Amino acid sequence: MSLLKVENVSKMYGTKRGAKQYQALNQISFEVFEGEFIGVMGASGSGKTTLLNILGSIDRPTNGRVFLGGVDISNLKKRQLAEHRIKNIGFIFQDYNLLETMTLKENIILPLALHGCKVQIMEERLRKLGGDLGILGILDKYPYEVSGGEQQRAAACRALITDPKIVLADEPTGNLDSRSGRALLELLSQINRVYRTTILMVTHDVFAASYCQRIMFIRDGEIYHELYAGDDKQQFFDSIIDVVSVLGGENQ
Amino acid sequence: MKLITLAVRNIKRNFSKYAMYFFTLSFSVFTVYSFLALIQNEFVYQAFTYRERYRTMLIVFGVIIFVFVMFFLISSNASFIRARKKEISMYSLFGMTNGKIGKLLFLEIMLVGLAALVGGIAAGIFFSKLIAMILLDIALVDFTGDITFTFNPQEIYLTALPFLFVFGVMGLSGLRVINKFELVDLFKGEKVSEGKPRGSTLILLLSLLLIGTGYYLAVTTDSYNLIGFALPILFLVIIGTYLFFWGGLPKILSWMKKRKTKYYRGDNLIAVSAFAHRMRSIGSTMATIAVLSAVATTAVATGFNLYQNIERNTYGILGYDMYFYGGQEKLLDDVYSAFENYGVELIADYTTQRLQAKPKLKITLYNGELEYYNSENGDDYFRVYSQSVCNELLALARVNLEPVQIKEGEAVYVRSFWTNVPDFAVEIERAIMAEPLEFSKQDIRITSFLDASFTAFGAMHTIILSDADFANLYEAGDILTGYSSGTPFDQVTVFKYIKPLKSGDFSREINRILSGNVGSYRLAYNHYIESLEVFGLACFIGFFMSIVFILMTASLLYFKQIMAAQEEQHQYQMLRKIGMDSQVEKRVITKRLLPVFLIPLVIGIIHSIFAMKTADSILFSDMIMAENSYFVVLGFSGIMYGVYALVYGLFYFITKHQYTRIVS
Repeated sequence: MSLLKVENVSKMYGTKRGAKQYQALNQISFEVFEGEFIGVMGASGSGKTTLLNILGSIDRPTNGRVFLGGVDISNLKKRQLAEHRIKNIGFIFQDYNLLETMTLKENIILPLALHGCKVQIMEERLRKLGGDLGILGILDKYPYEVSGGEQQRAAACRALITDPKIVLADEPTGNLDSRSGRALLELLSQINRVYRTTILMVTHDVFAASYCQRIMFIRDGEIYHELYAGDDKQQFFDSIIDVVSVLGGENQ
Repeated sequence: MKLITLAVRNIKRNFSKYAMYFFTLSFSVFTVYSFLALIQNEFVYQAFTYRERYRTMLIVFGVIIFVFVMFFLISSNASFIRARKKEISMYSLFGMTNGKIGKLLFLEIMLVGLAALVGGIAAGIFFSKLIAMILLDIALVDFTGDITFTFNPQEIYLTALPFLFVFGVMGLSGLRVINKFELVDLFKGEKVSEGKPRGSTLILLLSLLLIGTGYYLAVTTDSYNLIGFALPILFLVIIGTYLFFWGGLPKILSWMKKRKTKYYRGDNLIAVSAFAHRMRSIGSTMATIAVLSAVATTAVATGFNLYQNIERNTYGILGYDMYFYGGQEKLLDDVYSAFENYGVELIADYTTQRLQAKPKLKITLYNGELEYYNSENGDDYFRVYSQSVCNELLALARVNLEPVQIKEGEAVYVRSFWTNVPDFAVEIERAIMAEPLEFSKQDIRITSFLDASFTAFGAMHTIILSDADFANLYEAGDILTGYSSGTPFDQVTVFKYIKPLKSGDFSREINRILSGNVGSYRLAYNHYIESLEVFGLACFIGFFMSIVFILMTASLLYFKQIMAAQEEQHQYQMLRKIGMDSQVEKRVITKRLLPVFLIPLVIGIIHSIFAMKTADSILFSDMIMAENSYFVVLGFSGIMYGVYALVYGLFYFITKHQYTRIVS
């Protein structure tokens, strides 16, 4: 079943009449199905972060529509958007974006707290999810007291605690060493499998992309190519490298 | 690029951050200049009766303000430079020597300082006439003349020189701060934490204990000992305040964090944790602000109370619009004609004799340590009135006193103003009531007391008798009507008339008639204008000082919050991404900033409320003839606290606006 449906989405930056107008996205359409782990790849400036921002309803498209669970989110009012973000979307950022003024626990329950959730429910969900992600022991520490990998796991926990329809991950392994990166990717796959959470991950790391079930390649604001993972992981990895080298991305 | 171009560019770019600081600086220059201009203004100087006092007060407070501003400038300078650590390290990385960076900062300080000097002095010249008019309006009763605009280059010179000196010191101290920087600081992430602010219950209790002890001493100590206790009280309260902000408030915040149902609400969670996180860097600032607010509100409240109670105080001491004794037969007609000539409407006057009585009596205080009254000693006597004479006198006085009713065999003792010290007064009352007054044929016992020291007319002790007792004693010769030489005692005449405090010309005429020709005379007008000059000036100075203090505290907070806003910017971006809507954001910003401003203000005002209690014991309880003078004092102080909070609140809103602009 289609969870996210993107229809002819374009995004322009700069003034309409000005010569400096820049088209970040050009008539993009695609669908994401429930329970999918999908990757979006592209070189810097290809428009992948713009796409992610629009999907996360942080930015509005210039043209086109975005449906999440059948609701057109490009038409929501500001107030509804905030509500929508809390309820339906979980974010994982490259630089974790944990608030350094709060303990990991406080960071994780923040979306629920903003939503006005009961303390008991918060604690319950935190205990379950924190246990699965293996961070129960460090919940009372501050972000600067734990490693990058642990911070990213806490960030993932924060993204998942609202039980969102879709998790948007923006280069989640970008700031991690290869071992922590791999651990995080295993974790995301596991989340995807166990909770049937839909994940959309933007990356330019071929290795990270190889964890996805499907990869969309973006170039100059348009979808250039799509790849599906087969049974053979190595083959999938190789074909990603092929597309990337054709694209002229950095990871050739 | 020349250094000066870089300096100008830096100033332009950072203007909004330093705008409040610049304004504070300009206002300080303005204040110092205005004070100097007032001292130099011959016209204003001549308008004052007590000129030396006027000049000294302005000079002393001008210097005090300057000293405070100097400390403020030098201490804030260091934190300004620290805030620019990154930028400075960048210069260093690109090969600028420390000397050159120092020169750059020096240039910047000089440019900003010169601009503030020019701005402040220009404003001072522009408003000099207005300032002089305000001062004369506050401090003089019947000033009607026009003030000419005066200008004296010397004032500019005198203002500019010390400020330039301070700017120089700031420039040099900047160099010292730079030399402490390590280049590696540049590469350290901005997210270096300030450390977990835990606070401690012990420090919280200790701080409350210190402040509480200070308060207790302030409330319970009587006015004699207060002067000696003043420093310890200040010491206790100030140390307590700093400890509270260093260790106590963080502890309270950590308690708040434990109350999960409240704490785990989105806006509380963000605001409380962010505030707790900043405690370490902002604790000292908040404590300083609390102390400065206490000083400023106390100063302005004291000034205002003095000013508002001048009339009350005048009549509390003098009782009458006018009285004199001695020389009635020659002068009374002149006085009456003065009333007619100057068109002053006389309501009533009353003349009585200053009779004496010397009953056999010995009163000692504190177990015989202090002799209060001794009839063996020929100089001690009682001023004595019958009930009806006393009531005539009370009726003409400008105070609210019920007529007295005295039973036979009893007497009322009139308290003197100098016994108005709580413990002392109690001791006197006890001693006086213990002994009967022995007259030749009867004894009379003092059974009650009256606060009407103005009826003494030169006597140390005054009693009032019932009409019958008075007649009997008079008959028996116990009431003396003249000196042993046979010369009768002076008569005293009291006057009550319309608009006594506004009749300048009339009062001058009375001064001319009575001065040197009578035993003694007092005019409410004379006392009133003298008090008005001193307290009006005090009020005026207090007002300027408070504004300088508010500006200093507000610009300190403003700067810290703007710096915090820049660091917290990315947090707000992230919070918006995870679903903080704009309403919650507004609440978060309010909850984040309000405590920073409000807590020091509230603590400052509480300090001030207790400080006013001591001011009441020392000063106002003698001045204000009310059942509980402290309530009167608090009433007037409340007005000033309100005004102070209003101005301070304005800066809160400016800061909030700027903070919101930065984070969104």
